[in-house]
Amino acid sequence: MKKKSSIVKLSIIGVVLIIGIVLSFCSFDIGLTTYKSFASSISLGLDLKGGVYAVYEAVDDNTANLDERMEGTRTMLLNLLVQKGYTEATIVKEGTTRLRVEVPDVDNPSEIFDIIGKPASIRFVLDSSNEQVITGEHIVSAEAGYTTQDGYVVQLSLNSEGADKFYEATSNHVNEYMSIYVQVQGEEEQRISQATISTAIAGGRAVINGMGSYEAAKNLADQIMSGTFEVRLALMDSSTVSPTLGEQALFYGLLAGIIGLALVIVFLCVIYRMLGVAASVSLMVYAVLMLFFLAVLPGVQLTLPGIAGIILSLGMAVDANVIIYERMKFEYRNGKSIMASSYAGFRRATMAIIDSNVTTIIAGIMLFIFGTGSIKGFAITLLLGIVLSLFTSMLVSRLLVRCFVNINSTNPKLYGFKRGKGFENVDADKTDVTVQRKMDEEEALKEEKRRAKKNKDKNAGGLAHENI
Amino acid sequence: MKISNLLEKDFHLVEKKKIFFLIPVAIVVVTAVFMLIYGLVLGSPVNLGMDFTGGYSIDITLGTKLTDENRAVYEKQINEIFADLSDENGESYGLKVSSIQRQGEAEKTSLHVLYNAAGDERLMDEVINPALQEKIQSAIFKIVPSASKETSGSGSKIVLSYNFSLAVDSTFTEVRKAIRASLGEENVDSIERSEDSRTLTVITNSAVSDETLTALVEAATIDDRFSGLVSPGNTTSASFSAELLWSALAAILASVVLMLVYIAFRFELTSGLSAIIALFHDILIMFCFMVIFRIEINSTFIAAMITILGYSINNTIIIFDRVRENNKSLYASGSTATFIANKSVSETLLRSINTSITTLLTIGMVAILGVHDIKIFALPIIIGLLAGTYSSICISPAIWASWKDRKKKNKTSEPKKELEKATAV
Repeated sequence: MKKKSSIVKLSIIGVVLIIGIVLSFCSFDIGLTTYKSFASSISLGLDLKGGVYAVYEAVDDNTANLDERMEGTRTMLLNLLVQKGYTEATIVKEGTTRLRVEVPDVDNPSEIFDIIGKPASIRFVLDSSNEQVITGEHIVSAEAGYTTQDGYVVQLSLNSEGADKFYEATSNHVNEYMSIYVQVQGEEEQRISQATISTAIAGGRAVINGMGSYEAAKNLADQIMSGTFEVRLALMDSSTVSPTLGEQALFYGLLAGIIGLALVIVFLCVIYRMLGVAASVSLMVYAVLMLFFLAVLPGVQLTLPGIAGIILSLGMAVDANVIIYERMKFEYRNGKSIMASSYAGFRRATMAIIDSNVTTIIAGIMLFIFGTGSIKGFAITLLLGIVLSLFTSMLVSRLLVRCFVNINSTNPKLYGFKRGKGFENVDADKTDVTVQRKMDEEEALKEEKRRAKKNKDKNAGGLAHENI
Repeated sequence: MKISNLLEKDFHLVEKKKIFFLIPVAIVVVTAVFMLIYGLVLGSPVNLGMDFTGGYSIDITLGTKLTDENRAVYEKQINEIFADLSDENGESYGLKVSSIQRQGEAEKTSLHVLYNAAGDERLMDEVINPALQEKIQSAIFKIVPSASKETSGSGSKIVLSYNFSLAVDSTFTEVRKAIRASLGEENVDSIERSEDSRTLTVITNSAVSDETLTALVEAATIDDRFSGLVSPGNTTSASFSAELLWSALAAILASVVLMLVYIAFRFELTSGLSAIIALFHDILIMFCFMVIFRIEINSTFIAAMITILGYSINNTIIIFDRVRENNKSLYASGSTATFIANKSVSETLLRSINTSITTLLTIGMVAILGVHDIKIFALPIIIGLLAGTYSSICISPAIWASWKDRKKKNKTSEPKKELEKATAV
């Protein structure tokens, strides 16, 4: 009975895996739409696929502390790009007056470089005295937003000086008008908003309301942000750019990955026989899931450091299998039956695997929080990889090994098991009956607990219902 | 000896700790010496890449002449020009191309070349960059014909096809003259221009060898130096700024501290400290490797270091897990930490070896097949893996065991100390 269901389970896993592999690598047409494989939908970073570049030139006549101001502008521009989601953007200074920006593969290059194309200066003015309250230099960030009260707005955060000035002006001039003027470079200055000061505004936040749409709000926010740059920039040149690592990097990287994985599979199958087969299948499950998540998770961009994260987590996935199988061999050597060894192997290796993975997860989370750009990318693939590696080694491998052992628990050669000193003549399935009973008992206990919990939930649900 | 017998053998690794600790110390000392020598001779102790140091860039506008097929040829040529550029005494400046990217489309297609500085700003601006610009301008912009050769009678028929029209008579005359000079006036029977002026057919009266053909192609190449533009070399700042470096360091530090807390919580503080020491050992050895072999350190090295950070801890934890288990079992309560550490290392030795082999297989393939930058990335990871395996077997268990055993000894001698204290008061 057990044998039969194990064979069924194995076939199901096999079929699912094959479907997964096909979906990962083959793109094909379904009716009118085209299915894009996981592998081809992964968005790639600047180093592997290239992207777009732009060169900006400073158009300021003022040359005092130009170096310092260029450096400041570079930082602000980078922050702006990161805020827009181009976390892997790089900016270098060329010569003394130019900034070269590169961002990974985007659909519409002109859109992102338009951000800086039209800087706008902004000022808040009190109508009664024509006194200037705050200007662009007091603004830390400008973001488009939506409030139920005002519709689409641009939210400004002010630095401490700006916040103080704004508070002072608004508290001294309650019930007067304040206007916001915006001047886009090369155009006439426009009054875009006039509002009554109803109360003193503290906290360093100002809002420009009356934006017609989200697009308009976003556009103005971008223009205000680039208006805060210490140096006026003009777009000189922008176009596509090839990968920084060279055109062949991706192809050979992929080839290396596939050959490497194949070698690992061969190695595992030679050393661990059927257990190696189980590990290989679970590694392939890992690979398919990895490709899937890289393709569907938003904001994941694969770069060289990201690939390092994958290699590390792949190494850990293999390692988890190796730890379990070495443990099984160890148990068999010391007299346990095949079934008991496989049971004990998984149980005893769990702690080691979880502890080692948790430490790496901690590192991954810290890198994600503190890291920037490509280090963040590394952290994302690493964290994703570890979760998948835990899943495949602790669940998929376990299921496969259990099925294999159910089908054959008498031939130690199948699993590369050998008896140690003093246990040479112990049968491979000697203690199976007791182990089986123990496993069944545990399973039954689990089932009972589950049922109890379910009942409890049901009761709780019922109770809640009555209360209503 | 059979591999499986490894598990039953006690290697007394902890007792040999002096040798094991000495090896990394020796490597670090050697590295320090190397850094000193490099610093004095080459001017910089560490070979920092352009990501950190910045450098110069040149744009070579090739327009539609640049195709997927001939890109590699251009790149090779550019690399050679940079490497060969030398001063009046024939001494190479030691310029090195860091990366070549293609940018722009159609008429504006150009190659963006990044290279290191090979002297102070004045030397670069006044001598090297103008020389580079001139050299590239004259070497890159050429029209090279493709040649085919077949025997006709006692001589050869050579067909030279150009990706360019030779309709201008003066150009044709010049090329014809060059071909005659290259082959020797007496050997050439006729040189004819095809109807579309794109191919030349040369008939010779004696057989032409392959070497002669190569020389002929070179002679028949048309100088086209005004077909493209080379921008003057310009400084380029480091792409990996100080801020990025600090944020990376902060991230590493935060992870180390939290990992230490976790290990101390799950295991013991001593295990945590030994694991962190092993971690620093691994990263230090990676760095030493980069310094000794003068491999370029770029921002990818930071990613490599972080990778090893994760791997090293993982490796050490597995052994400490076995230590924890052996520590718990009753019979171990009377035995020394040294004994437990030795036993745990032996029991996990096969796992350590097999895991290292499998990880080396994947990253090794990356190192073998990868392009230059990826190789630079994979090499330190390989060294880190080896160092990590070494430290998890030979260093961290030994540190843990000696700490533990010393503590035990102190404990037994503590009452005496207290007594001394009491009398002192």
